[in-house]
Amino acid sequence: MVQTIAFAIWAVIVLAILATYGYFAWSARTPLDGEEYYKAVARLRRPLFIVLVLLLAATLALTLPRIPYPRRDIVPDRVVHVVGKQFSFAVSEQPITTDADFARAIGERVRLPAGALVEFRVTSRDVNHGFAVYDPEGHLLGQTQAMPGYVNRLLMRFDKPGTYHALCLEYCGLAHHAMRGTFEVLASEKLARR
Amino acid sequence: MAVSTSLQLEQTPAERLRWQSVTLAWTSLLFVLFPVLASLGLFMRAYQANLFPRLDPAWFYTAMTLHGLGMVGLWYTTSFAGMAYLVARYVRMKAGVMWLSFTMTLAGVVLLLVACAVRFSPGWYFLYPLPFKSGGTWPAWATDVFLATLLVLGVAWILWILHLLWAIAHRYALSQALCWHYLRNATQPEVPPVVLVSTVSGIASLTALLAAVILLVFLGLERLLGIPADPLLMKNLTFYFGHTLINVAMYQGVAIIYELFPRYTGLPWKTAKPMVIGWNAVMVLVMFAFFHHLYMDFVQPRAVQVIGQIASYSSALPAAVVTILGLLAQVYHRKVRWTLASVLMFAGTMGWAIGGTAAVIDSTIVVNFRFHNTQWVPAHFHTYLLIGLVLIVLGFTAHFTQEVSGEPERSRISKAIATLWLLGGYGFVSLFYIGGWHSVPRRYAGYPREVAEGSLYARLALMLVLPLILALLIYIWEVGKRWLAAYAAARRPS
Repeated sequence: MVQTIAFAIWAVIVLAILATYGYFAWSARTPLDGEEYYKAVARLRRPLFIVLVLLLAATLALTLPRIPYPRRDIVPDRVVHVVGKQFSFAVSEQPITTDADFARAIGERVRLPAGALVEFRVTSRDVNHGFAVYDPEGHLLGQTQAMPGYVNRLLMRFDKPGTYHALCLEYCGLAHHAMRGTFEVLASEKLARR
Repeated sequence: MAVSTSLQLEQTPAERLRWQSVTLAWTSLLFVLFPVLASLGLFMRAYQANLFPRLDPAWFYTAMTLHGLGMVGLWYTTSFAGMAYLVARYVRMKAGVMWLSFTMTLAGVVLLLVACAVRFSPGWYFLYPLPFKSGGTWPAWATDVFLATLLVLGVAWILWILHLLWAIAHRYALSQALCWHYLRNATQPEVPPVVLVSTVSGIASLTALLAAVILLVFLGLERLLGIPADPLLMKNLTFYFGHTLINVAMYQGVAIIYELFPRYTGLPWKTAKPMVIGWNAVMVLVMFAFFHHLYMDFVQPRAVQVIGQIASYSSALPAAVVTILGLLAQVYHRKVRWTLASVLMFAGTMGWAIGGTAAVIDSTIVVNFRFHNTQWVPAHFHTYLLIGLVLIVLGFTAHFTQEVSGEPERSRISKAIATLWLLGGYGFVSLFYIGGWHSVPRRYAGYPREVAEGSLYARLALMLVLPLILALLIYIWEVGKRWLAAYAAARRPS
């Protein structure tokens, strides 16, 4: 949804830019004497500046309250540990601090209840990776970086049951494109029956 | 003549010849390196389209590294060379320093080729600690060669920037070069826009290269003494360097336009208060906008991330209100001499506007949460490079070679080049935008099933780019001939 809105806004602005450039280039086909025409365009500077400032300020006001960084006081329903290592993500509900933990977690299939607030604690054991969560239809829902020496907290809520995949979105070497992690989201009652 | 000729310094014929020679050397890179680097880009798209299913993906990532580093270096240096050629009419720069930088840059290219021959491939911004942890893809000595490359290029570029600023300082005090006296409504001494933008670009470049020096010191400490660096600090340094350098490349292109475009409209483009405010703001904003590259590092302080969004948004204002509106005013009902040079420069600013808009959208944190490192990123930077800055530099080269050679222009050929370039260019980048919209990652040698449509987009992009390839070939033929004539003219005793 966010992607579509962003694309649509960009496309509308592109059309406006193309039309503006076309109009001005076309106007050069009928050259007129004097500097009045130059001054007429120069007089647009102040109104254009005001309009752009208002637009950008409104966008800031609309988007800044929605930034994805977690507040310290938020308590998640579930905590999931994620560690990136060339070239896979280990996803586990247990902490992953050693290579043995990593190997164990690679085989683990995490199951999360739909609608729960999940906190991913994301880090790396070698280079930078990008932990990007894709829904079962292949839409990118959100991401954070997996960085050695740091833990990034990513809060997400999954409403739709299904198998979710994490792809790496920070170039990390030869098999970067093959790096992935997986977890499942189950309807709450189905999870309770397990 | 629309330029402020009264402000220009007298150049002796020998000086003029030296500047023509060194600028010919720099522009020669466009005819050699650009087609090679562009071919690497096409190879990458072909690989993504599954046209080389048996080829080791390491070659994809090596091509990616060479393509990225090469293109950034090529457009940064050639836009600098164009700007320097023009600014040298106003301040006493020495062509010898440009020759030294040229030689050292070539040495850097050779070193880079050596590293890439053994599959060195950490990407163009070589994010720490990847150069040291290749997973066995390249030998450790390749990283050493790459560090030597950085050192050589860093010294070469710091040298010419210091020389540029030194030359400007010989004629103007810093406050004059930054035109602060215009803010007090004083217009003396008159400072041409190309000097103002050169000063801003020089200062910004210098800070970027200082960041690169610190980065290099940390990389060296780890390599030589085994002292690891902090990955978050390294990431900040890397993106400060990379972001600032590529933005400065665009500013250098704008400096060329301020100086050259009025020659095609007959309308002087003089320094005025809005331009001064805009460019001084740019100099500060570019130092904070780079934070948008680190939005997905949630451990960065929240305030820094917000500053990144505000600075990114604000930096769009001078571009739109000062440069683009100023350019449109230049052509509005004017008798414009539309030549290959003026058309390419005019169209180049349009690509800058369109790519810049996409960049501003991506600099919105909530959008970046879903666009970061998807194909939206190559979409916007290919727009303001391939159909932005590249056109401006090619426009400069067309102008410069014609000025030196005196060869007439063939307008039908010029029209064909511009039309085909724009058709192919916009077609090519549109597939990146669609890829970003559909969550296709950037920098993937192959696509997993979630984003399998990435292959189709790559295939379509290869078809749509064909007119641009044709335009490039015609440009090389047409302007290449003019370049040879200019070379002959520059060697002819006057």
